[in-house]
Amino acid sequence: MMLPTLLAAADSSDAWQTFLQYALIGLANGALFALVALGYTMVYGIIELINFAHGDVFMLGSFLALTLIGAMVEYFGWNWTDPAMLWLGLGMLLIVVPVFCAALNVTIDRAVYKPLRGAPKLAPLVSAIGVSFVLMNVGLLWGGAADRHFPDLVSRENLLGEGAALSFTYKDLMVVAVTVPIMIALTLFVKGTKLGTAMRATAQDPLAAQLMGINVDRVIGVTFALGGALAGAASVIYGLYINTVSYQMGFTNGLYAFTAAVLGGIGNIPGAVLGGLVIGLARSFGSGYVGERWTSALVFVILIAILVFRPAGLLGTHTREKV
Amino acid sequence: MNRFVPPILLLVLLVVTTIVGFGGSSVGDPAVIKIVSSLPRTGSAKAQTDTIVNGIRIALAEAGYQSGGFDIEYADWDDATAGAGQWTAEAETANASRAVRDPDVMIYIGTYNSGAAKISMPILNKAQLLMISPANTWPGLTKPDKGDPGEPEIYRPTGEVSYVRMVPTDDLQGPAGAAWAKELGVQRVYVLDDNEVYGKGIATLFIEACQDLGIEVLGHESIDSKAQEFKPLMATIKGLNPDLVYFGGTTQSKGGQIAKDLVAAGPNCKLMVPDACYENAFIESAGAENVNDRVYVTFGGLPPDQLTGAGRTFVEKYKQLYGKEPEGYAIYGYESGKVALEAIRLAGVKNRDAIRKAALSIKDFDRGALGTWSFDANGDATLKTISGIAIRNGRFEFVKLLGQ
Amino acid sequence: MTAPRWTQRAPAWPLYLAVLVLYPLLVYPEHVLFEWTGISIGMQLTYLFIYAILALGLNVVVGYTGILHLGIAAFFGIGAYIAGILAVPAYPFQFPFWLTLVLSTAGAALLGILLGAPTLRLRGDYVAIVTLGFGEVTRFTLRNLEEITAGTRGLNPVPPPELPRALEGPLGLLGIEPDWALDYRLFYFLALGLLVAVIRLLRNLERSRLGRAWIAIREDELAATCMGINAARVKLSAFALGCGLAGMAGCLYATTLTSTAGPDAFDFNRSVLMLCCVILGGLGSVRGTLLGVLLLIGFDNVVAPVLDGLIQDADINPNGNRFLTFSNWKLMIFGLALILMMRFRPEGLLPSRRIEAELATAHDASGPAPAGVR
Repeated sequence: MMLPTLLAAADSSDAWQTFLQYALIGLANGALFALVALGYTMVYGIIELINFAHGDVFMLGSFLALTLIGAMVEYFGWNWTDPAMLWLGLGMLLIVVPVFCAALNVTIDRAVYKPLRGAPKLAPLVSAIGVSFVLMNVGLLWGGAADRHFPDLVSRENLLGEGAALSFTYKDLMVVAVTVPIMIALTLFVKGTKLGTAMRATAQDPLAAQLMGINVDRVIGVTFALGGALAGAASVIYGLYINTVSYQMGFTNGLYAFTAAVLGGIGNIPGAVLGGLVIGLARSFGSGYVGERWTSALVFVILIAILVFRPAGLLGTHTREKV
Repeated sequence: MNRFVPPILLLVLLVVTTIVGFGGSSVGDPAVIKIVSSLPRTGSAKAQTDTIVNGIRIALAEAGYQSGGFDIEYADWDDATAGAGQWTAEAETANASRAVRDPDVMIYIGTYNSGAAKISMPILNKAQLLMISPANTWPGLTKPDKGDPGEPEIYRPTGEVSYVRMVPTDDLQGPAGAAWAKELGVQRVYVLDDNEVYGKGIATLFIEACQDLGIEVLGHESIDSKAQEFKPLMATIKGLNPDLVYFGGTTQSKGGQIAKDLVAAGPNCKLMVPDACYENAFIESAGAENVNDRVYVTFGGLPPDQLTGAGRTFVEKYKQLYGKEPEGYAIYGYESGKVALEAIRLAGVKNRDAIRKAALSIKDFDRGALGTWSFDANGDATLKTISGIAIRNGRFEFVKLLGQ
Repeated sequence: MTAPRWTQRAPAWPLYLAVLVLYPLLVYPEHVLFEWTGISIGMQLTYLFIYAILALGLNVVVGYTGILHLGIAAFFGIGAYIAGILAVPAYPFQFPFWLTLVLSTAGAALLGILLGAPTLRLRGDYVAIVTLGFGEVTRFTLRNLEEITAGTRGLNPVPPPELPRALEGPLGLLGIEPDWALDYRLFYFLALGLLVAVIRLLRNLERSRLGRAWIAIREDELAATCMGINAARVKLSAFALGCGLAGMAGCLYATTLTSTAGPDAFDFNRSVLMLCCVILGGLGSVRGTLLGVLLLIGFDNVVAPVLDGLIQDADINPNGNRFLTFSNWKLMIFGLALILMMRFRPEGLLPSRRIEAELATAHDASGPAPAGVR
């Protein structure tokens, strides 16, 4: 199917615009992957744990948002079509859901991972898979097995004018308007604040950090809270942007986000963002120029190829494993 | 010493089950005939299979669970697992072997998915056990030259037909959809499918019919039904500017997502989907505002609200018993139950081969709700009704009969 | 009371084997169990044997050598599809079973080498993600290369093995019908026989030079390299063997099912499930892995459907309420089991002696170590 698509694109005068359209879609999706990937990468940076449950925290965030949207209509007569109420409501969702996800993530860490801090590496990993199953089951009981429609609250009016060949809608704008400030704030937090410095110190050498008077437990808690909050924000935006939530979406998105984290160099915050964008673009261009059914395979082929040639990921520095 | 305890316990357990095992009956009860169904009862196809099972139960209850002098028992088996969320080859194999080994089972109603039928058909065929499918539409299961090379003989190791179905197959539905598209003034189509047996099959048949009718096929692409969104694909489609997009797939393989991404991307074109999306779950998962007045559905048979006579009575009874409208396949469940009872009545003996032969001999059958029909030599019913349905105001609305 | 000397020395495995051999011969056709539950224990045991081979293959990679492999299902699938392509009537090959078994094993091992050679030098978690990615690529490739794999339709029918004439007489004496489709016991004994052979092979390897090298790498790669072990080659051999065993299990799976099923039967869920079996039972321990398979796959294939059936029969859930369906709680039970297991018995139910000793000393020596240090 690749050739006809290519030929058609070449024939039309706006092949360039199609290319830009793919890029826009890829960047928006990639920004979402990046938000989730940040949670993976920060946790990994601190305690070297692939937190498989992270994607499911994200999924539960979406279900909470969906439930809240329905409940606000039912109990407060919230009018989502009124612009003022819409923006106020979305603002509230963007506070409540991240707080919920952060609390959930911290609870998981305290209840499950913390007792295993001294255990061999596989123990917390398997626990994380276990938590992922439990959360998925909660999602299944909460939302049922079928895909759920997430209301289309944000307008899909084209910002470039109706009838323009290229489409950049309010929805796309929303993704950018939420994710970019969050990422900037996170970078400032990690680079600029005392807690952020403590996080980086702990990631580099937990024992030394502890000896320097850093409360490692507290740093780990903050990391989980931050990761959860980012996943929560991503889950609201995801629901509004993709308009479908299901109990299995945590797994699929978690997989891509995790891949993004590894691609960028796991433990590396700008790397996770870059990895997310690369995956978003790879999926988008893959669909456009290779064939929709190969997109997911393509992402993993790129991953393996990058790891073979750059074993520490795109931005990762090659450190020897701690012995 | 204690490491010998587990095997010794196991051995004791073995001896006990052996002793008890000889106490069990191996012949079954001569006055009882068991009908079983094997459908995906967990996961996303549950809403549809619920109504099929309800349909079977209504048919059996109408006969008072009696036929040909036998007491009829019915068991509702699941060929899906929670882990998979859909049918699995292992569960379907286990169900088929279980049916074969249970001497009381004379009729096996199933499957929902054509892929599952491919696995159970040869197993059941070896035991001469009659299989009635309420929902398989892949032509190759019965029709020579309409499926893959070797079909349908590979499903009939004994060389005899043991599988029958009432549903009009995809080789009727696909072309009927194409003809309808032509009537709707469509000149350029883009075809998608979900890369599953059913979806891919019907999409291919739709394309062939389009080429015959002179409709330009702009492209054909398979989606990954586990993907979350199809925005780039829709951008591609928008660039090609088709009049209609055809999606060969099911609600469970992201039919709803296709509908809403298509709307969001902005190509102002229609969407046509086959019968597997003919369920309210499709409208729910797509969001009514995304499908109203732009989605067309083809369905083999008449929709419940268009039925007359026996069909009407069935729908009324269903609503009364279960408090909601039946989904499209409910009536095929009902008809399967009726055929099962008729085969037992015609055979009059508790013998698998006799019941199988009796079912194949059914001619001009009019005791069900689908009208009068017969089985042909392949085991297909002679029903060829295909309905065209549109979505309006968040509901399916019958438009016309297709291909007539 | 002290036990007689011989019982302390004699191994217990012949007893288990005797039970497994006698069960299908004595309890056939399983009326009582079967009529209660509709589940043939014998047939489910056949699948358990196949999964046990798969899990033992994974155990070589994860348990012995300490490489986290998240894509074992891909090799299982590759084995199944090689067997399918070589055996189904749609292709001109139609090799006999034994040849397809050998070729599936070799084919999966070869692909394991091709994947492992460039990637096993990566650090642990990166290898995990590479294997995971490879698993997904394999699934999509099987799906999309329809001309070869028949896509989601799967290749079928995979013919059963040719039964040697000489065996028909003895089988008849045991009351076994010589028809693979009608009597599950032929596959049962085939799978059991292969499983026993694999266990024997692994037992011998464990004590061999290579087996000790695997374990040395797991314990401390740096130290092992210093002792003159070629880490890359040793790891690759474990990876190839594990993938090969998975391929063998895949071939057996396809032959037993008479179909390669579909590509989705070999997805990430399957890999994770097998990994859980190995870890629950005890990393690096053959006995543990077998127990893990028995518990987890047994739960998934036997206990869950039985309980669902009982709930259905009891008619306590006439409206199909999703909270009252047992299978809707399966993931929860599964997940909790894994969490509790790791909390209270991280070495697994039947740990290998070496890992058990190691954990005991680790706890005595240092207490809970700070995060990231181990």
